[in-house]
Amino acid sequence: MKEFLTYVITGITLGASFALVGSGFVVVHRVTRVVNFAQGSFAVLAAMLAAWLLGGVLPHGAAEVGAVLICGLVGVAVGVIALGRRGTPPLISLIVTLGVSMLAAAAIILFWGQDPVSPPGLSGHLALLGVQVDRQRLLVLVATLLAFAVLGLFFSRTYLGKALTASASNPYAARLVGIDVRRMGLLAFALAGVLGGLAGVLVAPSNALSFSSDLPLALSGFAAAVFGGLSSPGRTLVGGLVLGVAGQLTAGYLDGSYQTEVALLLMVVIMIARSRTFVAEEAK
Amino acid sequence: MLRIDDLVVRYDAAVALDGVSLELGGGEMMALVGPNGAGKSTLLNTISGLVPPASGTVTCEGRVAQVPEGRQMFPDMTVEDNLVLGGWSIRNRDLSEVMDLLPDLARLRKAKAGRLSGGQQQMVAIGRALMAKPDLLAIDELSLGLAPIVVAELAEHLRYLNRERGTAILLVEQEVSLAVELCPRTCVLEAGRVVASGPSAELAESDEVRRAYFGDLTVPDATLAGLTEVQS
Amino acid sequence: MNSPKPSTVIVPVVSVAACIAPLLMSDLTFFVHTVLAAIVVTGLSLLMGYAGQASLGQGAFVAVGALTVGLGTTHAGLPPLLLLLVAPLAAALFAAVVGLPLLRLQGHYLAFGTLALLLLVQTAMSSVGALGGAYGISGIPAFGVGGWKVTGQLPYAYLALACLAVVLLLSRRVVNSRFGRGVRALSGSETAAESAGVAVGRDKVAMFALSAAFAGIAGAVTAFFTPYVSADSFPPLDSFTYVIMAVVGGLGTIWGGVVGAVLVSVLLQVLNTVGSQPGLPPTASSIIQYAAYGIVLILALLFLPRGVVPSLGSLPRRSALR
Repeated sequence: MKEFLTYVITGITLGASFALVGSGFVVVHRVTRVVNFAQGSFAVLAAMLAAWLLGGVLPHGAAEVGAVLICGLVGVAVGVIALGRRGTPPLISLIVTLGVSMLAAAAIILFWGQDPVSPPGLSGHLALLGVQVDRQRLLVLVATLLAFAVLGLFFSRTYLGKALTASASNPYAARLVGIDVRRMGLLAFALAGVLGGLAGVLVAPSNALSFSSDLPLALSGFAAAVFGGLSSPGRTLVGGLVLGVAGQLTAGYLDGSYQTEVALLLMVVIMIARSRTFVAEEAK
Repeated sequence: MLRIDDLVVRYDAAVALDGVSLELGGGEMMALVGPNGAGKSTLLNTISGLVPPASGTVTCEGRVAQVPEGRQMFPDMTVEDNLVLGGWSIRNRDLSEVMDLLPDLARLRKAKAGRLSGGQQQMVAIGRALMAKPDLLAIDELSLGLAPIVVAELAEHLRYLNRERGTAILLVEQEVSLAVELCPRTCVLEAGRVVASGPSAELAESDEVRRAYFGDLTVPDATLAGLTEVQS
Repeated sequence: MNSPKPSTVIVPVVSVAACIAPLLMSDLTFFVHTVLAAIVVTGLSLLMGYAGQASLGQGAFVAVGALTVGLGTTHAGLPPLLLLLVAPLAAALFAAVVGLPLLRLQGHYLAFGTLALLLLVQTAMSSVGALGGAYGISGIPAFGVGGWKVTGQLPYAYLALACLAVVLLLSRRVVNSRFGRGVRALSGSETAAESAGVAVGRDKVAMFALSAAFAGIAGAVTAFFTPYVSADSFPPLDSFTYVIMAVVGGLGTIWGGVVGAVLVSVLLQVLNTVGSQPGLPPTASSIIQYAAYGIVLILALLFLPRGVVPSLGSLPRRSALR
């Protein structure tokens, strides 16, 4: 029983990071209908930046925040490239972001080399329900829950957040009331950069990230986002947690090396199961 | 306050508006009628700045707000949010004026816009447009899909707006009798061109309007009688 | 105004050049790989251009073809020629089976679904002993027909070219057939195509299977040529490269695959040589490779969205109008 609990709790903390990356997908897709393949690259970039800032100049906390904010700016740049000219079909934008993720890998190798990076984080353990949990992993969970709460409040309570939601809900009407839908798209990309970056700085101390980590991160994040039909942050959170727990249970009871595969299978199954709802949403 | 000179608008290869000219004075109410595909919605979208002209000019002294065809709600957002977003262009979040003008909206504040009836949505759409404190209200198909009694109530609101606030109104309508009853002037659009323009009463009886709507078919006397009845 | 269509001049010239080139090169690895990539990308280009479906995991079908040959020769001792013919069928069958559920997905969901498929195939190959396991399948015999066996690289170059020729001819027939026209309707709108009487589901699967067959035959030839098959032979990056080649060449064109494969391969080879010059850090080639992939893809999509072939095709018309 204690074993089961360990897997569940570790799974939840792991799944939180999936949900965080996934929320980046959701924010961008809601507003622009684009899937940002480079979402994982934000995470890796932030980890690299944080380690670099910590090593040189800034103290803990400031370095991570700095890294995340820089990723927000990078997000805007990605958005400009991905959205392209008006009328670019979303599928083209997806492939463009694939190209961006490759450029990002090149840039990361250029500045930081090919070795995995793991900046220092919180050390030590905490006992939760009788299970020893890394404090860093607990931080990930707490930060994720906070981020989702803030995101939810932002979309529902602030003027800007409502304008973003409106751009997603009815772009024509949004333009009519004077909302600059393209600028909203770029804002969504900036948010995605921040969310992805946050995931990166939180995950890297426990799991070293390298230039090639963007693909598995993007895949897990996308898998989580799929639970929410790429538009519901709430269900993305649930999806991430489910995936995390499923992965840990597989690792514990079946075979540790099949975590990613289980996540992939789950993702494909959920996508197919929900495919009718997806078609209706895309048609809008 | 609105002056359109020789406006040409293209959608890819097709010409939607082919040299349209019209004028609307401040505080005026004008109807824009014509068959489907005449370019009425395109004209409104160009005035609203959503569609760029290929040539010609649109000059407007003051703000334009559009009440689009089919209401175009933000369906998952509340009525309150829909209204508040209407004021985005001038950052106006104060709902009191609009609530005074359209008191029924107060009751519907927290409802999801997508769940409302057509008439209620139309009221929200008008309220949303009014949040931008426009000098010109452009309305695309006010009566589409709505019961006559609902339309009459909305029309009353529009008259009030025009009378008490001096808001100019450009009303695109398929329902000719409504347009003609509400607006002293009418402009007839057909295949992207203005084919007639003038006092509504005269136009209702004119050949152009008949041709634009009924082609060369013989018209049942009852319908003609209905048209002439309106302005007598 | 009456000058012959460029294709009637260029095609024979290029074909002759392609047949002569292997005789002039000492190491044919680059040549063979480029031709095989062209085969895969031709299929991918049809899938993406005509059926409007993006596949980020085409390598999965290359793997199936390679596995057919690898297992068929080392475990079952079957004749190479038979396996060469069976491989594309196996890949097509695999695609049809997998495609039935998978092709219900659209757009980006399908893109991720095919990527997931590739990764799952890779995992299956590396964990299941019968499929090669951790060490892969080695000791694949040379290709041969009857008693004669291939020696050296040159025959593989011509084998690859022959397969490419077959693939191109097949593509032309498919594109001009009623099936091709039906599938073209797909990339516009599924519901519109459906109401026009196009059997959307079946046609999508058929196109998917066809592109898989092309990939499968490329995989088969690779298995003989390398001669080694393992999970690492089909990394996601290769599948992404196929997409880049397809985009650069021109989606939905018959020659787009060839043009894209050649252009991108040559570019990468040049950059590789540049990157491995003495004096540059060892990471230079990776940087340059990734950067090249990214930049080529982004520039191609944003500035030449229809690809090289369609853009070239409109040139003579433009000059005629002057």
